[in-house]
Amino acid sequence: MAVQTLEAPAGAERWQMLAVRARRRRRLTDSLLIGFLVTVSVPIILPYFWMLTISVSAKTGGVESVVLWRASGVLVPAVVAFGLLRLFVEGRRLLWGGLMIAAIALVALLLLVGQDLHAQNYRFLWNPDIVADIRGRATAEAQFPSVWVAFRNSLALAVTQTALVLTVSTLAGYYLSRFQFPGRSGFLQGLLVLHAFPAMTLIIPIFLLMYWSGLLDTLTGVILVIATLELPFAIFIMKGFFDAVPWDIEMSAMTDGASRRQAFLQVVLPQVKVGMLAVGVFAFIKGWEEYVFVRTLLFEKQNWVMSLYIFWVSEDIMGVDYGIVAAVAVFYILPSLLLYIFCQKYLVQMTLGGIKG
Amino acid sequence: MARIELRGIRKQWGAVVAVEDMNLVIEDGEFVAILGPSGCGKSTTLFMLAGIYMPTAGDLLFDGARVNEVEAKDRNVGIVFQSYALYPHMNVKRNIMFPLKFKGVPREEAERLALEAARMVRVEELLERMPAQLSGGQQQRVALARALVKKPQLLLLDEPLSNLDAALRLSMRSEIKRLQRETGITTVLVTHDQIEATTMADRIVVMRTGRIEQIGTAEDLYRRPDSLFVASFIGAPPINLVEGEAADGRLRVGELTLELRGDVAGAVVLGLRPESIALDGAGIPARVVDVEPMGRETLLLLDTPMGPLRVLQGGASVPYREGDQLGLTFAPQDSILFDRETERRLADVHAAPPKA
Repeated sequence: MAVQTLEAPAGAERWQMLAVRARRRRRLTDSLLIGFLVTVSVPIILPYFWMLTISVSAKTGGVESVVLWRASGVLVPAVVAFGLLRLFVEGRRLLWGGLMIAAIALVALLLLVGQDLHAQNYRFLWNPDIVADIRGRATAEAQFPSVWVAFRNSLALAVTQTALVLTVSTLAGYYLSRFQFPGRSGFLQGLLVLHAFPAMTLIIPIFLLMYWSGLLDTLTGVILVIATLELPFAIFIMKGFFDAVPWDIEMSAMTDGASRRQAFLQVVLPQVKVGMLAVGVFAFIKGWEEYVFVRTLLFEKQNWVMSLYIFWVSEDIMGVDYGIVAAVAVFYILPSLLLYIFCQKYLVQMTLGGIKG
Repeated sequence: MARIELRGIRKQWGAVVAVEDMNLVIEDGEFVAILGPSGCGKSTTLFMLAGIYMPTAGDLLFDGARVNEVEAKDRNVGIVFQSYALYPHMNVKRNIMFPLKFKGVPREEAERLALEAARMVRVEELLERMPAQLSGGQQQRVALARALVKKPQLLLLDEPLSNLDAALRLSMRSEIKRLQRETGITTVLVTHDQIEATTMADRIVVMRTGRIEQIGTAEDLYRRPDSLFVASFIGAPPINLVEGEAADGRLRVGELTLELRGDVAGAVVLGLRPESIALDGAGIPARVVDVEPMGRETLLLLDTPMGPLRVLQGGASVPYREGDQLGLTFAPQDSILFDRETERRLADVHAAPPKA
């Protein structure tokens, strides 16, 4: 009763009006924002989508652009529909709506381009003679190594260099963060300066270095080069993460009976997990996508990595068989994609300097 | 449990001297507070006791044995930091058990000891929680349990109460005192808060710019401060300090001449605690400038021929108002005199109000 007397009818109407106006304004800004995001995301999604579509539909001799246009004709409306859906519903209903849109899009795709789909472009996975169809057996023989050789090399390159970068940057970052030593500030500045130089400028001296040290055309050589170039920035990032770990818990661990090493391993290191994960993921991606240095320092087919494999495939077949290039590209992207999917939850927690967002 | 002795301890970093010529004996089972303003070297002293810093010079003895070079991990010292320093990635139970890991205590035994320690500080319901899920007071208790679980021979507390709110500070104060009495562990508390020091410790060490200024009980520091610094640092509201000139058994303070008991001449400082000044009609004339009720007591600001004085009166209200004229007096034994040059207290010298 008391509440009712407080609300004069005129006042209530006025509040109502203000509420309606605020709701309208909120809806307008929301739709503008989502409209903008949908618009800019279409050109980003489309190339990946086309790559996937080409890899499962293109046939030797050219690209069926009809398939592409049909597929895009399904995808773009689907993205826009999802944007609209996002505007009006949220939570569980958004999820279900999204799944519904995806299902409808999938059915539409199958109806429109279903008869054109095939896995022939992925034949490189089991048959190394990928150019046999085009050039005939004799010339094609042993032109390409098996894709699995390149895959294995890439994996070895990425994993080893990740391990190297992670170990060195963690230890160096800790030392830089915790200890005072002559030349420390110069070292820190050096890290940033080193990172500022484009690696390309070093390509000739590095080539000579590899040549004279006998590491030319070996994976070891490439791993050392890439890891070295990656390290300055990784060390800098790790130092930032260690800086954010308070001294107190380390001192506490040592008075609790831990040695300096035990304190580092059991108390400090768990605090910088996110930093290590980030540095690790970036190092892996860098190793996986590396092109410039592998192109310069590796020649033998047996040493090819995925980026070289895809380069030679496109070099040899481009203009004749886009499908297989797209298929190799899809295969090449998968590991990075999986890594990101598994780690993105942790990666979004990090900001430069190590303060969790 | 241990008897701790510091002999001529110095700590310096480059040219910066943090602690200079520190001599102190802490008896077995004693609770000692190191009190001083920030930057006086009290935390440095604590970290030297813990073994985190190594003294530059001097000897640090645990039960008569020199431990200067013994590493922190081998000293069996428990420490509670101002920030509590709980390990954020471990739950409460694993935090408390952490020190036992390095002592080779079997797992079941460790769990039993951890539970016992948790009970002692009343956090046994929180064992599975992570530190981030605890309130400040709970974190504090867990940090205490972790420091106590290994039965240390020395317990170090670095400003343990300064991050707690006022009510919690009060209860933790008596809690810590109770734990220390129960366990009998030699304890060193570092604080800048005189109330913490005087309420908890058996003896207090007052430090200033790296040196010990005075060692004594709360009463010693209050009634017989060795120096001007201790006199002004201890006591709230602070002591009244007025400058004067002593000659021929008289003390000239402002426009007033007091009588001197004891032999002294030259520049001195007269110290009078706000509560040792009595108000009545006669005596030294004074005018009330301000009345500040503080609850249990009332603080009066007076204008006198000696200069402005603070006077503490019991009771929430006093029959005085701004502008009132009254007279004040004090007992000679309550006056404290310092040499203005050396800033040391002049023992057995007192001032008395002029005879009416």
